[in-house]
Amino acid sequence: MIENPSRTFDPLALKDDLTAFRAEVRAWLEAVVPADWRETMRGADEADYVAFQRWWFAEMAKVGLATPHWPRDWGGADIGIRHQIIIYEEIARAQAPNPELFVISLYHLPATLFGHGSQAQRDRYLTGVKERGEVWCQGFSEPNAGSDLASLRTRAERKGDVYVVNGQKVWSSFGASADYCLLLACTDQNAPKKQAGISYFILDMKAPGVTVRPIRQATGQSEFCEIFLDNVEIPVADLIGEENAGWMIAQSTLSAERGLIIFELSERMARTMDADLAEAKRTDAAWLRDDQTRREFTAAYTDMVTLRLMIRAMMEEVEADPHMASSTLPTYIKIHFSNVLRRYTDFRVRIAGLDGQIEQPVIMGGGHQTGNVMYDFILSFAWSISGGTVEILKTVIAERHLGLPR
Amino acid sequence: MTDSDSGMDLEALRDGVRGVVAEQASHERVAAFTDGDETLNAALWTQASELGWLALSAPEEAGGLGLGPQELAVVYEELGRSVAPLPMLGSMLAVEALTAAEASDQTAEWIGRLASGERIGTVSMLRPGVFGTALTLTAGEGGSVVLDGVADSLLDGASANLLLLLARDGEGLKWVVVDTAAEGVSVEAIRTVDRTRSLGRVTFASLSLPAERVLAGDAAAIGEAVLTHAALAVASDSQGGAEAVLDITLEYLKTRQQFGKPIGSFQALKHRCAEHRLALVGSRHLIAEAVARAARGEDDALRYALSAKVLAAATGFRVAEDAVQLHGGIGYTWEHPCHLYLKRARLNEQLFGDEAAHLDHVARLLLAAA
Repeated sequence: MIENPSRTFDPLALKDDLTAFRAEVRAWLEAVVPADWRETMRGADEADYVAFQRWWFAEMAKVGLATPHWPRDWGGADIGIRHQIIIYEEIARAQAPNPELFVISLYHLPATLFGHGSQAQRDRYLTGVKERGEVWCQGFSEPNAGSDLASLRTRAERKGDVYVVNGQKVWSSFGASADYCLLLACTDQNAPKKQAGISYFILDMKAPGVTVRPIRQATGQSEFCEIFLDNVEIPVADLIGEENAGWMIAQSTLSAERGLIIFELSERMARTMDADLAEAKRTDAAWLRDDQTRREFTAAYTDMVTLRLMIRAMMEEVEADPHMASSTLPTYIKIHFSNVLRRYTDFRVRIAGLDGQIEQPVIMGGGHQTGNVMYDFILSFAWSISGGTVEILKTVIAERHLGLPR
Repeated sequence: MTDSDSGMDLEALRDGVRGVVAEQASHERVAAFTDGDETLNAALWTQASELGWLALSAPEEAGGLGLGPQELAVVYEELGRSVAPLPMLGSMLAVEALTAAEASDQTAEWIGRLASGERIGTVSMLRPGVFGTALTLTAGEGGSVVLDGVADSLLDGASANLLLLLARDGEGLKWVVVDTAAEGVSVEAIRTVDRTRSLGRVTFASLSLPAERVLAGDAAAIGEAVLTHAALAVASDSQGGAEAVLDITLEYLKTRQQFGKPIGSFQALKHRCAEHRLALVGSRHLIAEAVARAARGEDDALRYALSAKVLAAATGFRVAEDAVQLHGGIGYTWEHPCHLYLKRARLNEQLFGDEAAHLDHVARLLLAAA
């Protein structure tokens, strides 16, 4: 999989000229993305998959395209919306891998540390991602604290220079490969509101007392993990923000998930739907000749166009105000994306007929629209459940945005 | 961005229109109008004329302001917001057809009369796809043309007196102008369930017209310009109506008490309102993009306009439907405005082609580019 590109690439050096920038991103992708990576990853085992993800992340980092959305002060390129659109369009066009192992590292970690981390934490951990490809996972949910996250029971007790942590976390994506974890734990069980007793920590996954156990998902894969914490010591320096301020900081973490991550996924979705339509036209597919299914596709396509417009509007808000404190768009975007993804993957299952029910090996890291229709459909639940279910988000909209009483 | 590409302050325009409509088309006044037998709300029409709303899109050389889709979308949305009984769209579509045709002294004069509000126009009820018509044109004496057939479903037809109609002659489709006063033609008013608007029907039995009543230009291209305009207008009307009726509903849910608490605290109702708001956020973004593309004259303006219409009309209906249900008994009464919004939303779904016709043509346009 290691190629030797004919030359070095430096798209960010050309960022003042959008056409040249796009051409350089495209040339880099053509030189570096292995044409057969999907075949290689079809049915690949966990170790090969993780190795491939790390390789891809390193290739992106070499040309500055792993963290281009980060501010310059923190090792990014500070590029704007037009450049990001180009990058994601070209990545989607090239059908390049999605660096999903690094989602928390690239989005949730910076969203948390930019606003709330100490300078030392930003220096240490953002550099670790950028230069060493450190993998992060998220330790929020617990067996009895899902949608009701504030009811978490993992406890952290201050003892001298460390917090001693005991408890159990669940649904931590890629926990088995992670170097660090963004951890929420209770530091004051007597707080008047549960939210006011939660603190936010950086957990070293190699610390003594940390045990990780994979959970097999409905897709058959084991991306999620349980994390068991048995008298784990976390240095006080790895507390993010103030003690008992973790709940508020966690909202910043989750806002990353509701916005920027979907940007890349929506560009890939647009590409997939265009490709599906072109393929159906080429083969004179039955679903295209049938009025009902063709109309379903067209309506879903319109929803996809709408999703991309909402994301572009959000990106303009991000440029105007990087912390988007008042933005309501990320919440709408997350629900809309979940809905469109479910609707379209369901459509693909139905038009595939009985053939779609035949078990096929999964393309590891192939994203949300691999063409393996039942896998894609099952995987769509990840978006409507994780990071706040659609139902929780509707309540958020009703109470915070529409002003309906609690 | 509050300025349009042409530099007009759209928010100032919106405030101005909203202020006038709030007074002239308050729910009480709309109800009084719809309960009566008038076909034209003369007071509102006079206001719209005097304030220049009807002149927004007409070219400057024809006495208009030379503005376009972005300004009109603001007006249409505000009219929808208050379910205003103003037969503006038919006239603006007539201006659109005359502007898209080859310019002549005659087209300039008609545009000027429509833009001043002196005349009220309407156009054939086009539908996406291959344009059809039940009107035929044949050659008459002395270079005149003869019009036969029925022009049905003319929007705002009851008040219209300048008709732009699609007809077929030996060569193909042609747009023909009928001046009802000059020709002694009367439009039969058809009352719609949405009483804020109406349809009209005209039957022509060998009506002889001067040859210059046939517009020069590509009839299909004129039709596409009209259809794009119509789709954006109906989408904006639907959006404005749905946002207004959702706001009315939210107020009610916050104040209406049952079981000792506001009914808006019940999650089953909250989630529906959240879904409606989400849908309206989406349709608002799609309409804005479609309007911007039309204003820039982009090749895919028609596809975006049709997509926006199908989305906004469906959303508008769902919101208005649920507004009645969420209001309970009071929403089912004649005196409450909910039914006005619901009926207007249902008519919007059908105007200038239904959902299937729109989706089918969007698919055709997508496939042509695939």
